Amino acid sequence: MRKTTLLVVAMCLFGASVFAGGYQVRLQGHRQTGMGLIGVSLFGDASNLFYNPAGLSKMNTKWSIMAGGSGIFSTTAFSLENSVYQTTTDNPIGTPFYIYAAGMVTEKLGVGVGVYTPFGSSAKWDDDWVGSHLIQNISMKVFFIQPTVSYKINDMFSLGAGFVVASGSVELNKSTSYGTPTAVGAAGLSGNTISYGYNVGVTITPNEQFSIGVDYRSRVNMTMEDGDATFTLPTSVESIIPVKNYFNAELPLPANLDIGVAYKPNDKLTLALELNYVFWGVYDSLKFEFKEEPELLNSSNPREYKNTMIFRVGGEYVINDLLTVRAGFYYDPTPTDSEYFTPETPSLNTYGFSAGISIKPTKNLAIDISYLHLETQESVRSYAPEYFTGTYNGRTMIPGIGVSYNF
Amino acid sequence: MKLRNILLLLALGMLFACEPKIDDFTTTSGGADFSKYVAIGNSLTAGYADKDLYLSGQENSYPAILAYQFEAAGGGEFKQPLMFDEYGFGNRLLLDAAKPGPVPAGVAPDQRNFTSIAAEGPFNNMGVPGAKSFHLVPGAEAYSALNPYYARFAAIPGTSTVLEESVAQNPTFFTCWIGNNDVLGYALAGGAADSITPTALFQMAVGAVLQGMTANGAKGAIANIPNVTDIPFAQFMNTQVPYNGLLMDTTQAAQLTYAYQQFELFLASQGITWDYPEFSPGLNPFMVTDETLPLPAPFNVRPMEQGELFLLTLATDSLPMGMGSVNAMGGNIVPWGIPSQYVLLSNELEEIDQAVVDYNEIIAGLATQFDLALVDMNAKFKTVANQGMEVDGIMFTTAFISGKTFSLDGVHMTAQGYSVAANFFIEAINDKYGSGITTVSPRLYPGIYYYQ
Repeated sequence: MRKTTLLVVAMCLFGASVFAGGYQVRLQGHRQTGMGLIGVSLFGDASNLFYNPAGLSKMNTKWSIMAGGSGIFSTTAFSLENSVYQTTTDNPIGTPFYIYAAGMVTEKLGVGVGVYTPFGSSAKWDDDWVGSHLIQNISMKVFFIQPTVSYKINDMFSLGAGFVVASGSVELNKSTSYGTPTAVGAAGLSGNTISYGYNVGVTITPNEQFSIGVDYRSRVNMTMEDGDATFTLPTSVESIIPVKNYFNAELPLPANLDIGVAYKPNDKLTLALELNYVFWGVYDSLKFEFKEEPELLNSSNPREYKNTMIFRVGGEYVINDLLTVRAGFYYDPTPTDSEYFTPETPSLNTYGFSAGISIKPTKNLAIDISYLHLETQESVRSYAPEYFTGTYNGRTMIPGIGVSYNF
Repeated sequence: MKLRNILLLLALGMLFACEPKIDDFTTTSGGADFSKYVAIGNSLTAGYADKDLYLSGQENSYPAILAYQFEAAGGGEFKQPLMFDEYGFGNRLLLDAAKPGPVPAGVAPDQRNFTSIAAEGPFNNMGVPGAKSFHLVPGAEAYSALNPYYARFAAIPGTSTVLEESVAQNPTFFTCWIGNNDVLGYALAGGAADSITPTALFQMAVGAVLQGMTANGAKGAIANIPNVTDIPFAQFMNTQVPYNGLLMDTTQAAQLTYAYQQFELFLASQGITWDYPEFSPGLNPFMVTDETLPLPAPFNVRPMEQGELFLLTLATDSLPMGMGSVNAMGGNIVPWGIPSQYVLLSNELEEIDQAVVDYNEIIAGLATQFDLALVDMNAKFKTVANQGMEVDGIMFTTAFISGKTFSLDGVHMTAQGYSVAANFFIEAINDKYGSGITTVSPRLYPGIYYYQ
C-alpha cells in the first residue's frame, strides 16, 4: 500500500478503549499481546519499534514489514451506591492498530518507521444516566509516528532510539445545569493537538538462552489550545454564556519504563517476565480554561493519578515451521485515586489473560492472531467533589489479527 | 490439536459472556412491608412545582423517590397519574436570564393533560394539588369533579374520594402529608379570601384518613406542617420592599400629611373621629388596608407594622403610582392602602401561626394513636429557614430561587428540595420500623435551572 493511503487509513481508525491502566493501550503487536503484552526482552522483527527499539538491529531477517489491529469490545457496569440503580456503557468498538516497516541496512545498523496507537479511551454512557453531569461520552484517539534507528554494538549489547510525533484528538460531551424543560443543557468539547516525545531502549543478550531488555518511552503532553466548545443552552441564557467558545486543556500521556527478561531453554520454548513502571503521577488534575466567561466556566478537576507497576508473565512455543502458540498473564493496577474516580475513565485493577497463535504459510509470511481477555476487580469508587459514589466492574475482550512479511 | 480445540472453546465462551455483573442492592424492610405503597397528600405529594403539575416534577416527587428507594426492600410498582409533558395545565413558570423574576413558559401543553387517565389507574400517588384535609374524606365526593387535578385521574369524578380510592388498593404502607392548604389558602390570599380550617374539622378529617388506611394493618408515616410564613412566597418581597419603604422628601411628607388631615376632616364630617399619622421626611411605613378597622373603604388604612409581610404577588409597579399612600389619579384624592391580598397583617400572622401549632399538635397525637412514624417537617424547615441546611455540599435555604429549596412559585419545592424531604421521611421510617431504606443525594436531582 502507498504510504499516503496508509496514513489516511491510520487517521480513520479509532483509538482503543482499554481501561486497565488508565487510558494506555499496549496492543502494538500480536506476538506480544499473545504473551501477556510482554515485549521489551523479545526481538526479531519490526514490532520492536514500539516495545524496544534496540531490537531493530537484531532482526531475524533483513526486512520486516508488519501491520495489524485489534477490536476492543469493552463494557463497564455501574451500580449507584445504596440504590437499585444500575447501568452499563454502550462503548463503540475500539480499533488500535500498528504499521511497522524496518530493515537492517548493515549488519549492525537497523532503521525503521512505524505508526501505532499507544493511548486511547472511549466510553459511552446513556445521555441521561445518573452521572451525565460528569460525562455522557468521551472519545480520545492518539497515534504516534516513530522513525527509529538501532545499533548493534556487539553480540551482547544493542541500542535503539526513536523520535515520536504524536497526534491526538479528544471529544467529550456532558450535561449541564442550564436547560429548558424539554432539552437538557449540554456541553460538547473537542480538540486536537500535535506533540513530541521519544522512545529509547537497550537489549542485553549474555548468551543464547537469556535476553534482558530495558526501554523508556517519554511522557508526551497533549496540550490542546483553542479547542472547540459548544454549549446547548436555552435561548435566554445565551446572552450570559456564549454558545460557541474556545478552551485550553492539557492531558499527559505518561512515561513508561519497561524492564524484562526472556529465557529460552531450547529452540522451541521462550519464557518471559516483565515489569512496566508507568509514571501516571504526572496526571494530578484536568483543567479547562475557557476564552469567554472564564470566571464562570473554568474548572480544575482533581484526578490524583499514581505511578503504577504492571507485572507480566508469558510464554511462546514453536510447534513446527507452521505453527507457534502463545499464552500470557498480567496484573495491571489502576493509577486512579478511589476518591477522584470519574466515569469518563473507569479504570480499575485488571487481570489480563492472553493467548495467541502464529501461522506461517510460507517462510516469509506470518499471520499472527491474539486474544486478550480482561477482567477487572469490582470496586466501589467515588468522585468526592460531586458526591458521586458507586460500584464499577468491567470486562473487555480483544481479538486481534496481524500480518508480517519478513524477508 | 486438542490444545487448539480447548483454546477455541475458551475463546467462544468468553465472547458470549459479554457484560460484567454487579450484584443487586437489597436492604431490610424491618417491621414494615413496602410491597404496596400509597401516598396521600396535596400538591407537595403530587410533585407540583413552578406553579404547575408537570411530568418531570411528578417523576421527582418525594413519593416517587420513596418508592424507588423502597424497591431494595421489597417495594413494588408505583404508578402516578402522570401528565404527558413538561407543561401540565399551561401555568408553568420558567426563568428568563434577561428578566429578574420567573416568567410563564408560554408553551401550549399537550391536550391529553386535560383528559381523564382514570383507565390507567389505580394510582399509588394519590396526591391532589389544592386538597385540604377535609377534601380527602367521605362528604367531599364533589371535590373529585370540581378539582381538575383530581378530576383527570379520579375513578368516578363526583363520586370518588381520595381516601376511598387509596384504601381500595389494599396498601401495606402509606405516607400522609396534609394540612398545608388548610392554612395556606388563607395565607396566600393575604387573609383576603379562603379561611383556615377549624381544628375540630381538621382532627376529624385526618383521623378518618389514618383510620381508613391502617384498618387492614398497613404501616405508615405522617408528616406535620412547616411554618407557612417561612416560605419565599411570604418572605422574599420583604427583602425587596421593606414595610417602611415609603421614602419622601420634606415637601412630599408635608403634602401627604396635609392630605391625610383632609381625610380626617372628611371622616369627622361623617361622624367618625379618627387620627391618621403624620409623615416625616425619609422612610415611612406604607399605608395598608386593614378590614378590621372601623372605617369605610377606602379610608380603612393604617401604617404597616414591622413584622407584617408582603407577599410575592405584590404589584410593585403600583407603588410609584401611589399605592401605599394616596390615589391622586381620579378627580378626588383618596387614601390608597396596599390591598389586603398582598399583605399578611399581624392578626392574620397570629391566626396562621396558631393554626400551624394546633394542626401539628393534632398530627403528633394521631401519629401516636395510630402508631405511625412522625416526620417533623416543621422542625426541619425551621432549620432551613434559620440557618440553612447543607446536604452533599449543597446549601439549602429559604431564599427565593437561589436557596435551591423552593421552586419558582415560592411555595412548592424544587426536585432537589423534594429529594431532601424524601430523606426526612426515610429517616423517620427507619427509626420507627427498623428498616434500612437508604437516602438519596440531592445532587442527582435537578435544581431550578429551567429557562426559556
